[in-house]
Amino acid sequence: MVESMIQVEGLEKSFWDESRGEIRAVDGIDFDCRPGEVFGLLGANGAGKTTTLRMLATILKPTGGRASLNGHDVFSEPEAVRRSLGFFSASTALYPRLTGRETLEFFARINQYPSERVPERVGALIERFGIAEYANARVEKLSSGMKQKISIARTIAHDPPVLIFDEPTVGLDVLAALEMQRVVGELRDEGKTIILSTHIMSEAEKLCDRIGIIDRGRMLALGTLDEHRRATGQHYLEDIFVHFVMANLSDDEGATADIGSPSTSETIR
Amino acid sequence: MSGEPPSRGNRSVLLTLFRYEIKRLIRDTRTVLIAIVAPLVLIPGMIFVMRAVERSEERRLDDTVYEYAVTGDEAEWGRAVLAAALEREANDPDTTTGAVRFEERADADADSLLGAGAIHVVVEALSPETYERIRAEEAAEADTETESELSLPTLRLRHRGQSDFSRNAAERLGNRMAEVRSELRDSVYRAGGFPVAIQQVAAVTTENTASAQREGGALLGLALTPFLLFLMLSGGSIMAVDTISGEKERGTLETLLTTAAARSDIVKAKMMGIIAVGISVAAINILNLLLYLVLGVVELPERFVIALSPMDPLLILILFLPLTVLVASALLLLSGYAKSYKEYQLYLFPLLFVFLVPSLVAMLPGMDLRSAIVLFPIAGIGVAVREIMIGEYDWTFLMLAFASTGGAAWWGARLTERTLSMERLISASDLDEADLTGGPALFPRHVLRWFGVMWVTFLVVSLWFGEALGVRGQIVVNILIIMFGGSLLMIRLYGLDAKTVFAFRTVHPAVWLAVLIGIPSGYIVGIGLSGLVNTYLFPVPQNVLEAFGESLLGDDMPLWQLVIMLTVIPGIFEELTFRGALLHGLRKTFGPVAVCLVAGAIFGLFHVSLFRILPTAYLGVLFAAVVLMTGSIFPAMLWHFGNNFIALVPLQLGWVTGETPVPWWAYAAGLAGLVVTFSIVWTVRTPYPDLKEKRPKEFL
Repeated sequence: MVESMIQVEGLEKSFWDESRGEIRAVDGIDFDCRPGEVFGLLGANGAGKTTTLRMLATILKPTGGRASLNGHDVFSEPEAVRRSLGFFSASTALYPRLTGRETLEFFARINQYPSERVPERVGALIERFGIAEYANARVEKLSSGMKQKISIARTIAHDPPVLIFDEPTVGLDVLAALEMQRVVGELRDEGKTIILSTHIMSEAEKLCDRIGIIDRGRMLALGTLDEHRRATGQHYLEDIFVHFVMANLSDDEGATADIGSPSTSETIR
Repeated sequence: MSGEPPSRGNRSVLLTLFRYEIKRLIRDTRTVLIAIVAPLVLIPGMIFVMRAVERSEERRLDDTVYEYAVTGDEAEWGRAVLAAALEREANDPDTTTGAVRFEERADADADSLLGAGAIHVVVEALSPETYERIRAEEAAEADTETESELSLPTLRLRHRGQSDFSRNAAERLGNRMAEVRSELRDSVYRAGGFPVAIQQVAAVTTENTASAQREGGALLGLALTPFLLFLMLSGGSIMAVDTISGEKERGTLETLLTTAAARSDIVKAKMMGIIAVGISVAAINILNLLLYLVLGVVELPERFVIALSPMDPLLILILFLPLTVLVASALLLLSGYAKSYKEYQLYLFPLLFVFLVPSLVAMLPGMDLRSAIVLFPIAGIGVAVREIMIGEYDWTFLMLAFASTGGAAWWGARLTERTLSMERLISASDLDEADLTGGPALFPRHVLRWFGVMWVTFLVVSLWFGEALGVRGQIVVNILIIMFGGSLLMIRLYGLDAKTVFAFRTVHPAVWLAVLIGIPSGYIVGIGLSGLVNTYLFPVPQNVLEAFGESLLGDDMPLWQLVIMLTVIPGIFEELTFRGALLHGLRKTFGPVAVCLVAGAIFGLFHVSLFRILPTAYLGVLFAAVVLMTGSIFPAMLWHFGNNFIALVPLQLGWVTGETPVPWWAYAAGLAGLVVTFSIVWTVRTPYPDLKEKRPKEFL
């Protein structure tokens, strides 16, 4: 058993834009996740959450720093990293012309789940997510709620120890979002290590063991909700978040920020 | 972005990926129906209907009772010949189609009946005197001169060419009558004994020593490569369009890339999918065609026989293998590059050309394997396949053809694998500032489109109106209106600063000296280059070159006009267009070297004749390089003017001819001169402003 399921040290990602030159989307981030915890990445849109998670999933290659997942280095063992990982985001779509059952089978197989146990695994997932009724219908014919269930089942098809949920509730209605939160809680109870990125404060408050606050590519604060409360003297995560972001802003620009101004917290939502 | 560390991949993952690629395609009922099934059903249907119509039409032609009238001062003689001819028609056992019936209509005004379509043919039987007179009248009407012929009585068949029936009647009747006459003549000769020595009437025949198999092979060999290539491209495309651009559009690509499947396996599976579908579509179509041949729906040309040794299909298959991989790579690359279905389709058409044009090289007369063409991917295979089909095995060159296309395929496959690890696939936000701000920022992205439109316009004008315009007209329309006018239009529409676009800047005085050295040097090297191209790449017959020279100078213009038209105007306005607008538009799209090459190639394309493209592209590269190094268009203008001047004036004044040999040391001196020129320009360089910034290494 590794001590840290996920280790991130000084991780950097810069993009090159023809007109603007170098853009540092992630600017030296450190954190680690212990086995079985839910780690929250909290940040506004464009803060660097998705880029960080995509680097962990080895879709993007870091331009600096180090990261490993389940003991595998993202640079040298990308396939082993992905084998230990289930990645879910609002933009990971399903193949419309496959049925739910085929989808699960396909993803279990290409993630190298032992081939003789695939049918059994698929059966178990279908039962667990209650999708038996429409498991043999093509995904394109299903409602978005049904698709969401298959999508989650797809993420854990190969029973990976680490799960990444990148803004999983974006665009979902209240009930679907609650269902998603329930599933994440359930997976945590099963002992999975989970990274959850979100910009919704209540979600982070409810689900995460520890929360990292990220803004413009930098990790501003890292700790449990209680630790954050003690450090800032604020009770609600929303206020804690605004506190750190404003401090970061004034650090950068040398201006005193009007902490907690309503307009700022509006923009964060 | 470099990809992942190499991995061995996983066979069962690869097979799963491949299986599901195919499964997903087959499930796309509409695509399968439209792209694969529809042609199979439509083509035989169409052929069948066409054949049916053709047959019924033939029957109608045979069943019709053709009506004719006999006129002229020798009508009685004419009727006698006709009667003999009709008897032949009725009793000839050789005719494949049934005999056709004819009936005479006695009427005074046969010509107007023919004009009204009431009868099919008018037979005019004319005495020699009448015939001469009629011909003289007709010639006077048409304002031509008649050549005197032997005075003989003549049978003239008048028909209306626009009517199938009338034409058919005249043809059959005419043939029969000619047969009758010829038989008669022969019998007269034989009865009277030959009046001349037998050698003087000896017949000439030609004898083809090639077997029917070889001829069939030559014919099929020409068409086989382009045909199969087209089927592969269109068939493989069905799969390719869906495979990355489709996945991108639906958002499944990110899902796929977060799985443990190795990138190389994903690419391999997709390539296998494209190859499998491409080959299947090609095979289905070929089987389909063979089926029609067997059923007799489609007929082969007569005497069309192909005899292949058992080894030949195998050999052809081996030669096609790298071609298949190349096609799959190109399609996959296209699919990865395109952001959506729509973009894919946009790019597919030019790609078809890139593949089909070289494959058609085998059709060029006289093209054989023992030329530089063998080193060209695709084209080499096309020629090699033809050679095999006609039973000639030039092993060294077959291997060279295989190696060149194989090398291209290997390179293509590697390039394709790298595209999938390109972050652009996933991370591009596609938020284009240029689209929002418009104007000058948008120009670099539209500039190639503009030149595309200009090129098409230019081509249409040159090919269709070239002769009518003459040299002066062509230069005014092409250079002043299309090229320079187009450039001005771009400047206006995108709100550009003309001085910047046209690079009006002063230069270091030493540059002028450099250009003066560069003019003769570049010219001599250019001659050497055209010589190499004409000898080894695209052999251009001497008469084509001469015809080109005459077409430029044919208008009998005085020298001063030629100088203005062919040196001053191109020197100024072609520079403003190609080294001004085009270069300005491309400056940020590519690095400096690529800008020179692209701008040069485009300049070359604006010179219609195939054999001029490369030499002019070479000049274009030189001019572009000078502009980039000096930041000014003026040195290029001087160079362009000087180059055209020494190409034109000595020839016009008769100091040299096209045959004047160039000694080898002149080429060496030319090359050295170019080196000196660019050394000077480089030393005092004042580079073109605002070029593309070099991307730091870590972003490559």
